[in-house]
Amino acid sequence: MMLISVVALIFTDPEIIITEMTNTSLEVLQLCVELMAIYTIWMGLLEIVDASGLGKKLAKLLSPLIRWLFKVKDPETTKYIALNMSSNMLGLGNASTPMGIKAMQKLDPKTGAITPAMIMLLIINSTAIQFLPTTVIGLRASSGSLSPSDILIPTILATMATCVFGILMAKLCEKIFFKNKPSSQSGGENISFKNYIQKPISNTKQNKK
Amino acid sequence: MYFSNYIIPIIIIFLLVYSIFKKINTYDTFVKGAKGAFDLVLSIFPYIATIMLMVALMRISGLMDILVGVLAPVFNFLGIPTEVTELVLLRPFTGSGSYAILNDIYNVYGADTYIGRCASVIMGTSETVFYVATVYFSQTSVKKLSYAIPLALLCSLFGTIIACLVCKIL
Repeated sequence: MMLISVVALIFTDPEIIITEMTNTSLEVLQLCVELMAIYTIWMGLLEIVDASGLGKKLAKLLSPLIRWLFKVKDPETTKYIALNMSSNMLGLGNASTPMGIKAMQKLDPKTGAITPAMIMLLIINSTAIQFLPTTVIGLRASSGSLSPSDILIPTILATMATCVFGILMAKLCEKIFFKNKPSSQSGGENISFKNYIQKPISNTKQNKK
Repeated sequence: MYFSNYIIPIIIIFLLVYSIFKKINTYDTFVKGAKGAFDLVLSIFPYIATIMLMVALMRISGLMDILVGVLAPVFNFLGIPTEVTELVLLRPFTGSGSYAILNDIYNVYGADTYIGRCASVIMGTSETVFYVATVYFSQTSVKKLSYAIPLALLCSLFGTIIACLVCKIL
């Protein structure tokens, strides 16, 4: 995709490419500094949650749900997933990311193959139940909306429907793709638009080596 | 709506009170956790940078516009207004970028119109799928994502359709 874009640019406007790329890198750097600041706060608080035993309590509370969704029993993993899900629900997207990364690492079988549980975690995070879309409401208010919070109920309805749909689809796909295969193999060979979709990811993955 | 402003302070106060109650050294614990943030961001930076560069290139090269043009009729068929197509397409890639587009939509069509409300709900139901996937999987050994991304995108699309439907009814 990167290649196609660059080729297209040669015909349209070859001068702006370096400027634009540098600008973007700079933006990302800025974003990362912001993220670092936010993560510092949340990871500090997370450590307190952890040490005070609150994390374990939350994990216990959500463990039936998590066991059904992810089929994990390990208390450590359950805890991170529980924290990730609950901060997502509160609309604290930035707080949920570090915990999501940790949960993902715990779920990682270290064989290089993806597991259904990891996909489930991604789906839950990308359909993200959000009860308080604060940023959107703020934007609406500043653009002169008469009732900025008017979209609250539609959002909750739609987001819940999406999340349920996502979970069901993930369960369904799990049945289809992981049924006949040993768990160490990934079942992605037969997805037709895999090449189109996966390019960005595989690019970044290769850089890792 | 003022309630939402209180959530974070309440959580933090509750945490601190609870940790005092549990006799934990709050300062040391916080520092210990915060230490990890630097390394974490440092290790996800190259992944974010790569994906954002790609998005930027797609936008300035005009590929994005072509994609919008091709997909608009399809989206229309699914009940998604043409005006929000660009938002729907950009949303999986960039959070800040899609907020900028949302703002544009508000300015052009008004926040209280059907288009404006539709766009708002879409923002709530969807996530920056590529960004989340990149960041989450960057710290694991996984090489092939299998059907994860297509499925996540499908869910986003479903959310978008539902969002437009709900806005029509309510």
